[in-house]
Amino acid sequence: MKQFLNIIIKLGSIDRRYIFILVGLSVLIPLIRPINIPIRATNQSQDVFDALDALTPNSKVLVSFEYGPSTKPEIHPMSMGVLRKLFSDGHKVYATALWPDGIFMSVEALDQTEEEYSLEYGVDYVNLGFKPGNEAVVKGVAADIRTMYTSDTRGNHIDNIPMMDGINNVADFDFVFSLSAGYPGTKEWVQYACDPHDIPMSTGCTSIQVTEVLPYVEAGQVKGILAGMPGAAEFEKLVNIPGEATGMMAAQSFAHLVIVAFIIFGNITYFLKRRSDKKSLGEK
Amino acid sequence: MLMKRQIPLLIVIVVGLITLFGHFVANEEIQNFVDNDSTQWYDIIASFAIFLGGLNLLKLQLLKIYKKQKNWPYSILAVVGFFFAITVGFFYRGANTISVTGINAEKVEQAAEMIAGETGESTSTILSSISDPSSDYELQKIYKTQGGAEDFSQKLEAYGETQIEPIEWGAHLSATRGDTGSLFNWMFVYIFTPLSATMFALLAFFVASASYRAFRIRNFEATLLLVAGIILMLGRVPIGEYIPAWLIGTFFVMGIGALLAPFIKNRKITLAIVAIGSLIFLAIGFTNGWDPAIPGFFHLPVMQEWIFQVPTTAGARAIMIGIGLGIVGTSFRIIIGIERSFLGEQ
Repeated sequence: MKQFLNIIIKLGSIDRRYIFILVGLSVLIPLIRPINIPIRATNQSQDVFDALDALTPNSKVLVSFEYGPSTKPEIHPMSMGVLRKLFSDGHKVYATALWPDGIFMSVEALDQTEEEYSLEYGVDYVNLGFKPGNEAVVKGVAADIRTMYTSDTRGNHIDNIPMMDGINNVADFDFVFSLSAGYPGTKEWVQYACDPHDIPMSTGCTSIQVTEVLPYVEAGQVKGILAGMPGAAEFEKLVNIPGEATGMMAAQSFAHLVIVAFIIFGNITYFLKRRSDKKSLGEK
Repeated sequence: MLMKRQIPLLIVIVVGLITLFGHFVANEEIQNFVDNDSTQWYDIIASFAIFLGGLNLLKLQLLKIYKKQKNWPYSILAVVGFFFAITVGFFYRGANTISVTGINAEKVEQAAEMIAGETGESTSTILSSISDPSSDYELQKIYKTQGGAEDFSQKLEAYGETQIEPIEWGAHLSATRGDTGSLFNWMFVYIFTPLSATMFALLAFFVASASYRAFRIRNFEATLLLVAGIILMLGRVPIGEYIPAWLIGTFFVMGIGALLAPFIKNRKITLAIVAIGSLIFLAIGFTNGWDPAIPGFFHLPVMQEWIFQVPTTAGARAIMIGIGLGIVGTSFRIIIGIERSFLGEQ
């Protein structure tokens, strides 16, 4: 028994590379051999879906891309889910980016949905691209979008884009959706554009950002929240189009399980070590 | 001194006061300044700041290389990357497209096959686009070099008129056609994206290793943090749905027992509390056909949502209010000229 306990204590100071291998395997194996884990939508994801579902056809929706490659696995599936929902319901999408990398994310997402739904650029959607200035851009969109954006990502002048007719500021949109991985992002859209002009908005953000946005969700200023990759998977279930996030849920589940197992095991070894240290001190 | 201290201070005080009054005074000109002009000013100043930032980065990296400071070879990469990004952003578009028109009806199928071989599109899609000789068809491929575009354009000239057009400045940054993109787009997709994703992905490994070593039940606060962390980690992912609530309830009873143990001298009483509590939860599980979602409050996704909605939101609100008050205080100090750290003063 004592030998067994000693082995457990020794395992407590295991080289971290073994931990890395186990975490890596827990992510890799479910990705290589997909396991189907049923997904249940939380109230917050359901609220996002309901808010988008309540829009009347042909609504004008501003979708802002505020993420980059580092957070792409979490946010991009949300972008695809939200765009699919909007285009399948016949809404017009106006894409913007507050992050320089956001423009690439929007181009990728819109190119894919253009193919899927046979969309016409300038009629069904427009990509206004990135503007530097963080909250100043949000404030600019809220006040006068035409001074902020004079052309789109394809070099077309904003006055020559059919669907830009009648769009002058954020009040001309029916809904705003912020796909956000940090600053500037959801908070800035709430504070400088949507709340002052009473435009409904919703968001999809990274898991670590959820706590920052939750007070706005609870106050009703943001209609629901898609929280991290699980939020993306839940939205994919709600729109009934399984995508990347659904496939990655098993990997994330197992990775979390492995980390929790490590935490519990780490505490067991900690207590055993503390007890054995106390005993050896007592013997001395 | 006047230029370095008084005038900047005056600018900040005046602009600060106008911006503040813009929210309270119903004057169109002041509101126009706050809503439109000030944001434009911000953009212009930020543009100059980018130049300064770029030059500063270059200066620091070049000095590091010159003095051969620690890890100086990485600075070479930084400088090369800096110049490459500037070149493909400002000086070399690396994005040319070919348009074809007036293809002879007899040769249209051959031309479609040739274009399909080049762009990877389906022959039928191209056929429908080029069959009208008067229409202009843009190939779904971006050529990074003029020479590459000219090579294929010359081959196509046997079938119809071709024209090579570079994509407009600005639009070239994110331009894509089919699976190809501009040189800047290539840099983003094949250099920046994998590097950025790798850095972020490494976090998972460090979080796992750090949690294993540092997440210890040392005191009450650490225990609370650990329990909440575990509930969130498991409750947020679908697998949390399948961890039975009666099992979590049983663990909860054991936890209560562990907390009470130091205060109850008779161990039999502690054991009885834990045993009775565990039996109650097992009975709940048995009577409900071992349904993992009953009893509701001990179901991990429900517990996770409660943690998010109640304690987390309360904490986040407290932090936000604190930050808000801090901003008000600092802004007031700046407007009345007490806070001068932005001038470089202590």
